[in-house]
Amino acid sequence: MGSNTTEAHPIIANRMKKAVKSGLKIIVIDPRRIDMVKSSHRHLQINVGSDIALMNAMIHVIIEEELYNPAFIDQFTVDFDTLKEQVKMYTPEFASEITGVAPQDIIETAREYATADKAMIAYTLGITEHHCGVNNVFDIANLALLTGHIGKEGSGIMPLRGQNNVQGAGDMGCLPNMMPGAVSITNDKYRERFEEAWNVKINPIAGDTQTRAFEKMEMGGVKALYCIGENPLMADVHMTHTRKLLEGLDLLIVQDIFLTETAKLADVVLPARSWGEVEGTYTNTDRRIQRVRKAVDAHPNTKDDWVILCELSELMGYQMNYNNSEEIWEELRELAWEMYGGMPYSRLDKEYSLHYPCPDESHPGTFILHERYHNHEIASGKQSPFVPVTYTEPVELPDEEYPFTLTTGRRYESYNTHTQTKFYASGVKIKQKEETVDMHPEDAEKLGVETGDVVEVSSRRGSLQVNVKVTEQVSPGLVFMSFHFSEVPTNVLTINEFDPISGTAEFKACAVKIQSLK
Amino acid sequence: MSDPVKVKTVCGYCGTGCGLVVEVDNNKIVKIRGDKEAPVNKGQTCVKGSFAYEYVHAESRLTSPLIRKAGKLVETTWEEAYQFIAQKLNGIKEQFGPEAITMFATARSTNEVNYVTQKFMRTVIGSNNIDGCNRT
Repeated sequence: MGSNTTEAHPIIANRMKKAVKSGLKIIVIDPRRIDMVKSSHRHLQINVGSDIALMNAMIHVIIEEELYNPAFIDQFTVDFDTLKEQVKMYTPEFASEITGVAPQDIIETAREYATADKAMIAYTLGITEHHCGVNNVFDIANLALLTGHIGKEGSGIMPLRGQNNVQGAGDMGCLPNMMPGAVSITNDKYRERFEEAWNVKINPIAGDTQTRAFEKMEMGGVKALYCIGENPLMADVHMTHTRKLLEGLDLLIVQDIFLTETAKLADVVLPARSWGEVEGTYTNTDRRIQRVRKAVDAHPNTKDDWVILCELSELMGYQMNYNNSEEIWEELRELAWEMYGGMPYSRLDKEYSLHYPCPDESHPGTFILHERYHNHEIASGKQSPFVPVTYTEPVELPDEEYPFTLTTGRRYESYNTHTQTKFYASGVKIKQKEETVDMHPEDAEKLGVETGDVVEVSSRRGSLQVNVKVTEQVSPGLVFMSFHFSEVPTNVLTINEFDPISGTAEFKACAVKIQSLK
Repeated sequence: MSDPVKVKTVCGYCGTGCGLVVEVDNNKIVKIRGDKEAPVNKGQTCVKGSFAYEYVHAESRLTSPLIRKAGKLVETTWEEAYQFIAQKLNGIKEQFGPEAITMFATARSTNEVNYVTQKFMRTVIGSNNIDGCNRT
């Protein structure tokens, strides 16, 4: 669901496609006819942002036809009755009106998911980058709990993560509410463990999310931003607004490997080292810790990110002394031992990868999470609540003035704001060298444009010029663009509306108009 | 030409975590292939993992700290950059409190870097205003 796996996670897509040959059935739920549809058994081409209507209708069918797992629900869940009540109105016919998917397809999908021996829901930003992103995820969890498809091999919920170490960065405590080891900052006992080791008092109240930080900048509440290896000017919604906020800061520090669009606005820029020049570990999308190793010597006037922070720290009156990345890892292993205690570099070197939690060196690592649901020996009394949710439409729907829905995402050969993928090895043939607005042939005909023609795309927040690509990957009324190319800064168009819980912006839906410049 | 040195590592792009073998000659990456022993990808790679590595050696890499003087970013020394940052951050902390300082961490660097990044915020600055692209 909401995962263009072939382009964004190509190797995972290869494994999925290979599994089709040995009997895996793939159902693609996506507003675009993405490449994975070719390997799928069914494609539900839903309207952008209608996921909850679809999932609630699937839950409706599963309950109506008694295809749920009553023993699992009794033992491991609470609030089943609330869920039942909530989905009553979501008949397949009602959901069909919202999603644009035929009622029979919704019914069949519900039956197949519920009755499969093993079933997994893989999702990406098509689920989370909505004003209702958290509710979308709750509904995926509702489906898994309803059917018991969780905690065993070949089952579960699989969020595919977009960066090499986005999982690890969060687990390390680079979140406003979490300590290293993914424990809440409000957990006094756990926090005290770090206070003792670090010899400081840690604020027990959660800090600001990125989204909240931007809001606070608007009110003048943020004076300084220290930005490491991120390009928020390009990557965040409503670019014109972001630029104004960053320019209004008293101090913007950017630590990066290139002079990115964001770095150009900085007061001070620090040259860091890149992948290939440093030692350490990454945590991948399925909680695997793996070693990354230095391949080449960096320019002598650059420094590894942690070295910069330690040197600055000393100057500001706090000692952080490490001789190498392994010493940092050792400190983490000791303090967050429940997760990493059993993973010294030596063992990672030998075993290639280990899944956390791995509390001691005799522990094999945890390949499957939530096994407590099926192993009676380790089954705890903990019960998981169903969290019933309501469908809410995208914040900005198309209207007469802005008749198209714009949805955004990634393309195969480029990566995020393209600062690195500009530099391909010579001789590699790149198919998509510049941005396009992908539109359906019917819409192209109405606008009188063809592939390669230049159009102006405008939203209520900004406008840009871009070449047309005519493709049946999108449906009529829907257009697609990526955010890779600074020459065509797609995020001048996107809307600064956010999920109230996660703070994730609605990158996946806004209204635009398109004018031919022929 | 000497024989290339082979270094086993993990890809730095998406979250799949493919194992790679990087071939290095004369301190330059000359070739990348999938590591057959890697549990995730068993030797496979995508176009980014195999070929999008030239950025490491790009001419446009930053090789000196920069500081804004008379409206322009100009080269400076590490010492001057550090002094400037320390003084400004301490000043802001004193005048407006640690809550006026915020940090965007990077999901592209190592666990070790991220551990030190949040430790810097929670000890030196005294704020939990740290986040990354986890939400996007």
